[in-house]
Amino acid sequence: MKCEEIHHFIDAYLDGELDSAQQMEVEQHLADCPSFRSLLEERQAFRAFFVAAVSDYKAPPQLEAKVLAAVRQVPTRRSVSLWQQPWIYATAVVALSVCLALRMLFPDAEKEFARQAVLRHSNSLSTSHLVEVASPNPVVVKPWLTARLDFAPPLVGSPAAGYSLVGGRVDEIENRSVATLVYKHDNDVVSLFCWPPDKERLSTSERSIEGYRVSTWSNAQCNYVLVSKLSDKAMHDFMDSFRVQIQSGAYL
Amino acid sequence: MREQQARFEELVLPHLDAAYRLARLLVKRDEDAQDIVQDAYIKALKGFERFRGGNARAWILMIVRNTAYTWLKKHSADSDVIPFNEAVHQPSTEEVLPESAYEERLHQFREALARLPVEFREILVLREIEGWSYKELASALKLPPGTVMSRLNRARLHLREEIAKLQPREL
Repeated sequence: MKCEEIHHFIDAYLDGELDSAQQMEVEQHLADCPSFRSLLEERQAFRAFFVAAVSDYKAPPQLEAKVLAAVRQVPTRRSVSLWQQPWIYATAVVALSVCLALRMLFPDAEKEFARQAVLRHSNSLSTSHLVEVASPNPVVVKPWLTARLDFAPPLVGSPAAGYSLVGGRVDEIENRSVATLVYKHDNDVVSLFCWPPDKERLSTSERSIEGYRVSTWSNAQCNYVLVSKLSDKAMHDFMDSFRVQIQSGAYL
Repeated sequence: MREQQARFEELVLPHLDAAYRLARLLVKRDEDAQDIVQDAYIKALKGFERFRGGNARAWILMIVRNTAYTWLKKHSADSDVIPFNEAVHQPSTEEVLPESAYEERLHQFREALARLPVEFREILVLREIEGWSYKELASALKLPPGTVMSRLNRARLHLREEIAKLQPREL
């Protein structure tokens, strides 16, 4: 190679990109040609200068926090892609329609009433707001409740052996004011919610919600939801005895 | 997903300086560079599933590059042709005024660099700072292998000329 030709390779040489034959040639020329050596030194200095000048560009201290905040706000890919799919909305509409249709065919109002009744019951226990009118006597409790409700709840003083009336309160269930009768047996507290079946009659059901046993039933006068921690047997005894008294008219 | 985010932060966040440096060299202004880095990191996280291991630094740098190019295209009036823009090259308040002769030369060097076309600035920083090989440059910049060397030579020549214009007595 001629001198100028080799000079042309000087940067590739410094970049370490020459094959071994070219590299040997450059190194040979380096030994022979002083002007090539000084050019090489010049180019090396130039590179060092480039690195020094550009290395001064560093991310400002606040950038990391900014980037981190921005990155952490990025919704996960899954949720982004899912909600960007048009079909998800169609699917949701279909699913909703199916649910509504099923609900019309197989009403499960009991569950929602039961859930709310449990909430009222557990609240009354935890806030010691057990009753608003305290008396074992239906004659005292009934007028108090009737004055605050749009109906007259059936009042049974002692619905089953060992149970006595503690009193009553007014609760809200499904946007409706209901009468809550509270009974006690030793340490067991029973809340019996009742209201007229103006819209729908509850069917008979039993379930456990948050450790409470919940029973629903109804007759022509009232929907009932019973919440307690009684055993199933004690609960059934209570309900049977209560029904007998209601049917026999043994209530106020 | 949290795990993936943590992995992303661990792999990609350490390259913030490199990402900023590249963005800063491509779009020149500090605030624009910061915006580009932020956008690039968001894009990177969204596409992190497609990152199949390997060189996280090179990966984020290419996302920064693409983001910067999109930005430059949008602001092409003053960037694509790269006429010298006084407003851009006014020393900003945060920039320390050069004190020593060495500092002054560094400053002039950066000014000269800023006058180069964007593809020269880009290939120089990837070669000199990131140390990419010609092969890596060719594949990342989608250039035929022979073009890398000639573009680098032209970029270096151009830079030397710009420096000579600013500083006639040296280099």
